[in-house]
Amino acid sequence: MAILEGRNLRKTYRLSRRNTVEALKGVEISIESGEMVAIMGPSGSGKSTLMHILGLLHAPDPNHGPAPELYLAGENVATLSDNARTKIRARRMGFVFQDFNLVPTLTALENVLLACDYAGIRGKQAKQAGLDALALVGLADRADHKPAELSGGEQQRVAIARALVNKPEIILADEPTGNLDSDRSAEVLALFREFNREHGQTIVLVTHDSEVGEACDRVIRMRDGRIRDYGQRAAAATPVMAIPAVAATA
Amino acid sequence: MRLLRDLGRRKLRSGLTITGIAIGIMALVVFGSMANKMNTLISGGSTYYKDKLVVTIGSQMSGNIQPLSIATVAEINKVDGVAIAVPGIEMLIGDSTGMSMGVPPMIAGILPGADRGLETFKMDVAQGRYLEISDAGSPVVVMGSDIAAKYHATIGGTVNLRGVDFKVVGILQPTLTAPDQEAIVPITEAQKLFVETLPPLVRSKLEPSEVATSITVYPKAGVSPETLKQRIDAAVPGYTVMTGKDFDAELGAIGSVFSAVLFGIALLSLAVGGLSTVNTMAMSVAERTREIGIKRAIGASRWRIRREIVAESAAIGLISGLLGLAIGAALTYLFNDMGRSSGNVLFLLTPQTAFTAIGFSTGLGALAGFVPAFGASRLDPVTALRYE
Repeated sequence: MAILEGRNLRKTYRLSRRNTVEALKGVEISIESGEMVAIMGPSGSGKSTLMHILGLLHAPDPNHGPAPELYLAGENVATLSDNARTKIRARRMGFVFQDFNLVPTLTALENVLLACDYAGIRGKQAKQAGLDALALVGLADRADHKPAELSGGEQQRVAIARALVNKPEIILADEPTGNLDSDRSAEVLALFREFNREHGQTIVLVTHDSEVGEACDRVIRMRDGRIRDYGQRAAAATPVMAIPAVAATA
Repeated sequence: MRLLRDLGRRKLRSGLTITGIAIGIMALVVFGSMANKMNTLISGGSTYYKDKLVVTIGSQMSGNIQPLSIATVAEINKVDGVAIAVPGIEMLIGDSTGMSMGVPPMIAGILPGADRGLETFKMDVAQGRYLEISDAGSPVVVMGSDIAAKYHATIGGTVNLRGVDFKVVGILQPTLTAPDQEAIVPITEAQKLFVETLPPLVRSKLEPSEVATSITVYPKAGVSPETLKQRIDAAVPGYTVMTGKDFDAELGAIGSVFSAVLFGIALLSLAVGGLSTVNTMAMSVAERTREIGIKRAIGASRWRIRREIVAESAAIGLISGLLGLAIGAALTYLFNDMGRSSGNVLFLLTPQTAFTAIGFSTGLGALAGFVPAFGASRLDPVTALRYE
């Protein structure tokens, strides 16, 4: 079953009165539930724009072509209001960014709890979920540390815990390993792989890194605002190389 | 307490903003207390003068106290509509009051019981007793609350008024108006003291027992003070007759000046404090653009972002208000304490003023937060995330 399905996804950014950039030129995409997909492509290929639309951070352009459609678990979300999209992001999606993007004044646990709070979960239940999520990424003992007291790899794991805590239907990650060295990258990637394998977590990663692409079930390749290659879904049994199994608890 | 942590990120900036507003609120508290004191004083006077007339020569408000003949009392008593006219002495305790706001310390000479129960302005005795008819001719005094403190008066002790020792028989409860500054003595004793203040030529021709400085006239029930004023003017021309309305007209203006000053200060702190809070919050928002982007991306609504910023801004206001109130309260207490000895008790900090000051600064803070909050809530999460 497709968890995310899009058709006629277009996005044009207006940089100034005369200067516009057609970032997405009509994209059709389908992400299956339980899939771990990488979206790859050179800079300016539209991969981040696609992720922003799939993640409901931006709405697809409604004009200049056939009406855009975007289905999240069968429900059309292409034309929802900002408020409605925000709610879906809070409750049904998880986000991981390149720069970790933690709130500097909050502890690791508080950062994770932000996501619970926005999803409407508070109190003891939220705290337990937050601690569980930190334990899942191997940072149970770092719950009270501020981001500045954590390494880059640890910060990104906190961000992943934050993305996971509400058990979202889909996790979207924009260059999640972009600022990490190869060992930390492997750890983070292993975490994603583990959640995908063991919990059937749907994950969409945008990346430059071909190693990240190789670790995924499928690689979608983009160029000039269009999808060039939808990729073949790898057999579920394909072993994933170069991912130390201990990374998640390191 | 995340809010305080956020404020603490830029301690100097938050601190300066808070100090700035606190100074404004402090001014508001101090001047508000002063206006309170003035207004209670005036409204006390207004209550006192409401149902009676006071006959003098010249205006007593100017501090120029002239003797009048006690024979006038009998003439006024004959006027139709007068229930009773009572002579009294009002005089300054010192020759010069220096710079003084409010009511200067006074000696009041009264005839106890002469009002025949018509006096409605009640003064409660805190210690000892009030003057009685039998006190006539004895150097005894009932002290108003402020002046009692100034003279360190104790029941049974003596105070020296214009060179004469008086035995303290009573100390009044605070009335928050003129009697707090009055040493009340039997009229016989006040007459002697008053005559001494007159130039020798005048003094030699006067018998102390025939002198008064004011005559308090109580109208009969149903007779309006204004009508009675006209009749007294006609019967005994050349005197100044003041009714409650005259008092209000004369002193109401002072109250309005104070209110205007207060309003001006409020407006000034509104502008200065408000703008500096807007500036502080706008800078905080700019610095936290990325953070707002993250929060929006992971599901914080626009409303939520606005709420956080307005709350932080209101917290600046609240802290400033509490600080300003604390300093203002300390200052009024200190000034009152210092002023008590010279009879200048100028401040009255009421709970209402305190709550208004806090409410004002908190509201101001919240209001100032709205502009940056709306800006922040309109940020596009993706653009905000890329912000360096």
